[in-house]
Amino acid sequence: MQQSEGITLLRDILLIYGLFATYYVMTVNVVYFSIMAFSFRNIMTIFRRAAYSKFNTLSGSELVPSISLLVPAYNEEVTVIENVKCLLTLNYPTYEVIVINDGSSDDTLGVLRREFGLEPLPNPEMRNSIDCQTINSVYYNPQYPHLYVIDKPNGGKADSLNAGINLSHYPLISSIDADSLLEKDALIRMARMYMENPEETVAIGGDVRIANGCVIENGAVKEISLPRKMWPMFQAVEYLKAFLGGRIGWSHINGLIIVSGAFGLFRKDYVIAVGGYRGGYPGEDMNIIIKLHRYMLENKLKYRIAFCPEAVCWTQAPDTYRILSNQRKRWGRGNLKNMIENYDMAFNPKYKVMGLLTMPYNIIFEALNPYFKITGLLALIGYTMLDMTHWRVLAVFWLVNFLSGYLLSIGALLLEELAFKRFKKLSDLVRMMFYSAIKFFGYAQLGGLWRIQGHIQYLRNNNSWGTMTRQSWQEKSDTAKSA
Amino acid sequence: MDSHLTLAIYFVYFCLGLIGIGMLSLFWFRIRSNRMEKKQELYLQKHQDYFKFIQTHLNGASDLPLPPGKLTKLERRVIQNKLIEWIEQFKGEIRDKLVKLCQDAGFVSEDIKLLDSLFYGRRISAAYRLGGMRAAEAVPRMLIMLEKQRYSPLTIVIARAIAKSAERGDQLKEMLHHLLRHGKPIHNMAADILMETGLDSSRLLLKLLEDENPDLVKVALVAMWGQAVPEVVPALDRLVGTGEKDVRAEAVKLYLSSNPVLKDDTIRELMADSDWEVRAAVAKSLGNTHAAGSIPLLRTALQDSNWRVRSNSAESLAKLGETGFEVLCQIAKNGSGIEREAALHQVEKAMLEEGEHQKLDQMVAYNKKKLLYERYFGVSESKPVRQVAAVGGDYTA
Repeated sequence: MQQSEGITLLRDILLIYGLFATYYVMTVNVVYFSIMAFSFRNIMTIFRRAAYSKFNTLSGSELVPSISLLVPAYNEEVTVIENVKCLLTLNYPTYEVIVINDGSSDDTLGVLRREFGLEPLPNPEMRNSIDCQTINSVYYNPQYPHLYVIDKPNGGKADSLNAGINLSHYPLISSIDADSLLEKDALIRMARMYMENPEETVAIGGDVRIANGCVIENGAVKEISLPRKMWPMFQAVEYLKAFLGGRIGWSHINGLIIVSGAFGLFRKDYVIAVGGYRGGYPGEDMNIIIKLHRYMLENKLKYRIAFCPEAVCWTQAPDTYRILSNQRKRWGRGNLKNMIENYDMAFNPKYKVMGLLTMPYNIIFEALNPYFKITGLLALIGYTMLDMTHWRVLAVFWLVNFLSGYLLSIGALLLEELAFKRFKKLSDLVRMMFYSAIKFFGYAQLGGLWRIQGHIQYLRNNNSWGTMTRQSWQEKSDTAKSA
Repeated sequence: MDSHLTLAIYFVYFCLGLIGIGMLSLFWFRIRSNRMEKKQELYLQKHQDYFKFIQTHLNGASDLPLPPGKLTKLERRVIQNKLIEWIEQFKGEIRDKLVKLCQDAGFVSEDIKLLDSLFYGRRISAAYRLGGMRAAEAVPRMLIMLEKQRYSPLTIVIARAIAKSAERGDQLKEMLHHLLRHGKPIHNMAADILMETGLDSSRLLLKLLEDENPDLVKVALVAMWGQAVPEVVPALDRLVGTGEKDVRAEAVKLYLSSNPVLKDDTIRELMADSDWEVRAAVAKSLGNTHAAGSIPLLRTALQDSNWRVRSNSAESLAKLGETGFEVLCQIAKNGSGIEREAALHQVEKAMLEEGEHQKLDQMVAYNKKKLLYERYFGVSESKPVRQVAAVGGDYTA
């Protein structure tokens, strides 16, 4: 009798859960498709903006705002020279490159000093607008008047960026990862977007693409191709979906929650006003954007945080399971920390789109997503064991999930094809379609697992960076050519 | 339950349908795009001789023709794009000749017709090409288009096309009116667009300086940056006292860039301005005008809350001979906080310039500064100046 009552209770719970799960899936799909619809709405404007803007006058104009490029570098001896050379030759009138050596244990500082003949400045003018660790020295060579290298004890990426801000001389700052390569026009394209609305624009994010598989020469991507290895290939289609399918739409409703740390442009006065980057934890790129939203909304200032998909930064994607999982756990940790720190914004009408859509979406459908996946799986087992379901129902439910996800991926590929057309080969298209489909069979689940592991690390106070190895751009390029 | 399942199955079919359409579209777009690119390359190859012919006859007296024979639509577009590319590169008579070729070939009239197309994309691309072809006859129509346009990145595309094609100053002014009516502070962008004009911009800018619309005045001030001519000084003199904060800042910067002789009262007033950009511009100009009488003001400005003002003041003090440099040394030695930081940095910077002085008078001035430096800081071997003798530092960069 008691057993049958228990089973009835379990059945009731499972039924309620099933109803909840159905609404959860429906809501998340409505959000995804709405954001994708905004992306489609904007894509032709983006295409025309990119196609009908020539930068020959603008890139030589005094009227373009000056920018300080901040490049935090930790153990980047293999790639940093190529990247700095790339940055020193951008099509942009007035800018400076500030590399911040964050206490690297390798020879990052040494290779920079030797390559550019840098010597320490006796009294570097650090303005200390933001708190950061005391620096060791600033290196400079008048023959490279736009290059500064800050050497400081290890304090993390955020601390490095804050040190860079304290030395920077210009009103706009751009954070760039030391393992990334900017396209020559990337900065001028962002500046053009800034100049279209300088008063309201507080940050602009660039498009990050995977450089694995591309041919790279003299610090620039010469030939675009898809990665050959499986892990970078998954990330390539994942980035396309996130940046084109997601961020274009989110920026349209001014609900962008992140500007990628790999390449973003910021108004320095507002970054200083919010206290700079938050140190001591990953996810500083998301954190600074949340803080900017909060500051602007609390002070009732009109603003926008924009996304500029035609400003492209190429980055080396992790190509082994270990490095990728470490990266994703770090992201999971950073995301959770940001959500916990800013939970008060969720469902708060004071924070407009951020409060009513972006934050709830990120908490419910991003941070907590893996837990719904796991409970969903357990519920499925329960349904089967209690004979509450039928294979047809399961198949339909799975198909709804898979096909809606795949449709979004196809949508992202269409956006790419409509506006950018970077992948010329038909075989590339086929590969992207294939990987977009098979990522639902293992890779997506691993993503959930890594996120949960990141959350566990957060709860255990494990704040390690994990393994991250770099490969020289030259080596990568040679591999790409020989393929 | 069944009805839910049926709904879900419909959704599955819906997704499958859209995925199928999406995939087919992707293949179609890619194949079409590759085919177009190949054809374009083919046409470029085919007309190589024609392009060479055009290049060799650009200086000739006769009008330039289109290639003989019937041209396909894409072929015409390839030739048009090449001509637009050259129009952007050349100026003067050569450009005029290419513009005339575009008109004779019918490219201009075709694109003017497209300005009335039902499709927005075609209208924008036509406006872009018309700007490239400097099509003066399209300006009135493009002005209407700009007037109706909601503010977006494509507003800039139309405005630029008008600026390139306008043959009268009033058209440029109308373009600026339409561009700035959205209330966005896009004066730098507007100035950049304005400078695309083939007309004599200096007269237009002078006129804009007299305009009652502060936005137009600001565009003129920004566009004139670095090229203040004596004729504009009276207008600038008036604008320096204007109540419009932004206009005043720009006017002061431009006014000071012409190295005017300022009255002491004016300098004091400007150095107390609430806008840091004004104070920084004045501080910078005081060094360039060698106004030794302003040393006390610059000394005070070393405590300014804005870094740029402090930095410019220190730089100017370093330029004001031994007296100015000695003030810097005193503060670097005995001062504290931000003023000491600014002074010390400037002193070190001046000392690092040892190897950079080629002329005799520069060397003499440097040696005097060095003596002053040694008086305050000694001649120790461990002094930073000796450690980094070959190193400079352009902190004003």
